Amino acid sequence: METLGILGATIGAALAVIGAGFGIGKIGKAAMEAIGRQPEAADKVRTTMIIVAALIEGVALFAVAVCFMAL
Amino acid sequence: MGYGRKIFNWIVLSALALALVLELPVRAHAHGEGGDVIVKDIVLEHIGDSYEWHIGKFVGKHVAIPLPVIVCSRENGWKCFSSSHLHGGHSYEGFHIATEGAYAGKVVETLPDGSQVRPWDLSITKTVAGLLINSTIVVLLILGAARHYRKRRITDSAPMGLAGLVEMLVESLVDGIIKPCVGPNYRKFAPYLLTAFTFIFINNIMGIIPIFPAGTNITGNIAATFVLAMATFLVTNLFGTRHYWKEVLWPEVPTWLKVPLPIMPAIEIIGLFTKPFALMIRLFANIMAGHSVILILICIVFVTARMGATVNTSMSIVSILLGIFMNCMELLVAFLQAYVFTMLSSVFIGMAQEGAGHHEKKNDIDNLTTKR
Amino acid sequence: MGLLQPESGLLFWMCLAFGVVLFLLCKFGFPIILRAIEQRREYIDNSLEEARGAREETLQLKQESMHIIEDAQAQRWRILENTRAEQEQLAHQLKEKAEKEAAGIIESARMEALAQKEAILREANEHVVSLAIAVAGKVLMQELKEPQAQEKLARKLMDKVNNTQN
Repeated sequence: METLGILGATIGAALAVIGAGFGIGKIGKAAMEAIGRQPEAADKVRTTMIIVAALIEGVALFAVAVCFMAL
Repeated sequence: MGYGRKIFNWIVLSALALALVLELPVRAHAHGEGGDVIVKDIVLEHIGDSYEWHIGKFVGKHVAIPLPVIVCSRENGWKCFSSSHLHGGHSYEGFHIATEGAYAGKVVETLPDGSQVRPWDLSITKTVAGLLINSTIVVLLILGAARHYRKRRITDSAPMGLAGLVEMLVESLVDGIIKPCVGPNYRKFAPYLLTAFTFIFINNIMGIIPIFPAGTNITGNIAATFVLAMATFLVTNLFGTRHYWKEVLWPEVPTWLKVPLPIMPAIEIIGLFTKPFALMIRLFANIMAGHSVILILICIVFVTARMGATVNTSMSIVSILLGIFMNCMELLVAFLQAYVFTMLSSVFIGMAQEGAGHHEKKNDIDNLTTKR
Repeated sequence: MGLLQPESGLLFWMCLAFGVVLFLLCKFGFPIILRAIEQRREYIDNSLEEARGAREETLQLKQESMHIIEDAQAQRWRILENTRAEQEQLAHQLKEKAEKEAAGIIESARMEALAQKEAILREANEHVVSLAIAVAGKVLMQELKEPQAQEKLARKLMDKVNNTQN
């Protein structure tokens, strides 16, 4: 049972990381495109990108924290 | 270009040196327990706390700085003694360090009836000692720069050296994130945000450096990030405007979302707490994960020690190279996490500062944050 | 799980340390730095403004000096022109005067010459007259041996003289 819990926790962490990675990747892509289209707005785009990425990261960290508790 | 390359070379060299120095405690650990390397223990030992500051093993001898243990006994009140009394599982005045159970690694008190309880423990542990050292560095750094300004007139040229560095940092933070995120009365909050940034940044950097006065894992400790996030929470909500509280308690959404069951207010109120909670977890997890990864990479050297010379050599090279890479990465993360913490704090404070003027923008950010 | 539980002792020390750091830096650290940065920014802005003003002033001064130089040039030309005109006039006057004087001298010289000529002529006349009288006397002496003839001649002569005098 203990081993199963650990397995579940690690799989959960992996899933959370996949989701977060995907999300942050999409943000990065969109931000790059936006900067490429409007290089003069690069600062604003970067700020917003970091904020949004931080929000997604927050969700992922919650998931990881939950997994940690299950470990 | 040449200058940049020189700096890059210097960083690589110092990272290499750091990676080599980082091996010391690991090696000590590896040989201490019959040569069997348990990576998890090593990592947890570094990330966790201890009552003495283990520096390393030199010439077959463990070198550790004993730190004061301050505990409040249920029987005899406050006690303060050196942690060397507890070294090696010894008991002192009824206190000893538990080896297993719920309080493993902590000081516990044995009561006369034989039961073990955890006393109030305000010991200067390794983390606390590192925290105090780093706080002193932060204060000296900023007050030194401020003193520099007190002696100068405005008509003098821009400062050089330390004050110049601090000024560059302060100016870029104020112009880059604090002013745009907090809004018109940023002057009131800039000192707090800058303090948070400097504090986190210095602690992050000191956490990466593995040798003695540095090397404590402070921002990778949940208690430290809890206090930092709590500070942001308090600043945000204590200085919140009426408009902010109205948005929290009576947001502009269809009435059925508010009247019979206060769904939206409930979400908003939960959002009040999830924001600092995310700040806390983010900083903690990033720094802790970085330290863990570096340690695990260096542990590869010792894990492969029994697999023969060829495997060990090749894996050592790989682990050192990866360790250098991760150290560089951690330098970036040290700055980035301090920056992100400051930026998000600014955004939260700015949201609580907004009057009716910037209604639309506030809603956008609110929607983003409540989606969690 | 243990990692996610904040230790109470550490919480206490962290609150203390961060509180002290926050107090010190918010009281003595960052406000001074921020103020200094702001003041210097203001100072630089003001200096730029002043420099721009000074540059404009210099430009104006330069233009003014150009004007002055142009005026001076014009004045110089005018003065030169005047001088030349005056000179010419003077020269003209002098020439006129000289001419007049010369004319006067020539006139007087001619007058004198005329007078002299007349005097010479008169003298010559007198000479001729006296010579003629002498000759006439001699002739008369010869012819006027008789009184009648004398008288006749005298009358004739008298008439002649009268005719010539008229």
